[in-house]
Amino acid sequence: MDPAVAAMHEVSGNDATPTQTPEPGTAAALETEVDGKPLDVSTESAEQRRLRFERDAMQYVDQLYSAAMRMARNPSDAEDLVQEAYTKAFSAFHQYKPGTNLKAWLYRILTNTYINLYRKRQREPLQSNSDTIEDWQLARAESHTSSGLRSAEAEALDHLPDSDVKRALQSIPEEFRLAVYFADVEGFAYKEISDIMNTPIGTVMSRLHRGRKMLRDMLADYAAERGFRAAGESGAAADSDKQENRK
Amino acid sequence: MSDCQGLGDCDDARMQRIYEYLDGALTHQDIAEIKDHLDSCPECLEQYDLECVIRVMVKRSCTEAAPENLKNSILDRIHSIRTVEA
Repeated sequence: MDPAVAAMHEVSGNDATPTQTPEPGTAAALETEVDGKPLDVSTESAEQRRLRFERDAMQYVDQLYSAAMRMARNPSDAEDLVQEAYTKAFSAFHQYKPGTNLKAWLYRILTNTYINLYRKRQREPLQSNSDTIEDWQLARAESHTSSGLRSAEAEALDHLPDSDVKRALQSIPEEFRLAVYFADVEGFAYKEISDIMNTPIGTVMSRLHRGRKMLRDMLADYAAERGFRAAGESGAAADSDKQENRK
Repeated sequence: MSDCQGLGDCDDARMQRIYEYLDGALTHQDIAEIKDHLDSCPECLEQYDLECVIRVMVKRSCTEAAPENLKNSILDRIHSIRTVEA
């Protein structure tokens, strides 16, 4: 069960490591200087590198775990995922360019690890590039928001328990979910999310836009189910305690 | 329904502006414009408020501490890798 051995093999391949792939011939320059301050990664001893990794990278374990929970859906798998990601990050740490955004670099490895390893193991269908899902979700989102939401709605949403928020987030397709998570929880800029998810900035913005609409509609539905209805809103949802036929 | 032209003449355009504002993706001039507009347009302000509420909710709900032993497990593995490579 311990995937350590698998990880050792994985890290030797390039597919899951962050692709800060230098242009041919510039590999040395990439690692040797930051703003004129030399930190010669190439002559760093293994021990020095390990200490630098522990000092700089280990502080993000909680944050990566929270993100992994949005990917893996249960605590045990999230732990595995974070462990795998850190193992890969450590093995690839010589490729990390000091002075660049380490947190974003780690998130990128986490995301790649999830896509390449964990999800493969789960045998889940790939949701990326499935236009049909996106279109279907978009149509739904638009039909719901067209009427606009009242400010009482904000108050109603605010009463929802954390479990509902997580459930709502979990129910939107993962490429939207992760974009929203990276932006709203971690506060990453569009460019950083684009690096982490390896997609163009325009795609990031579109995923955020759609994802937020879906999330908002989902939360509004949950609020209605719980009877936290916005003033003046009449809906069929009021008469049912649980509309659990939603998947 | 909306007669608001300040942030775009459709809900999509308006929300996109609000998202970019909240995401810190606007120029200083854009920010000044949108602030002025929010002061004078209750409809946009309502959308803005709602987005703020949702963000706070998401952040609050999704911030979780890793299990106690996770950090140690990671360190153990890192050390074992070093041993293998040495």
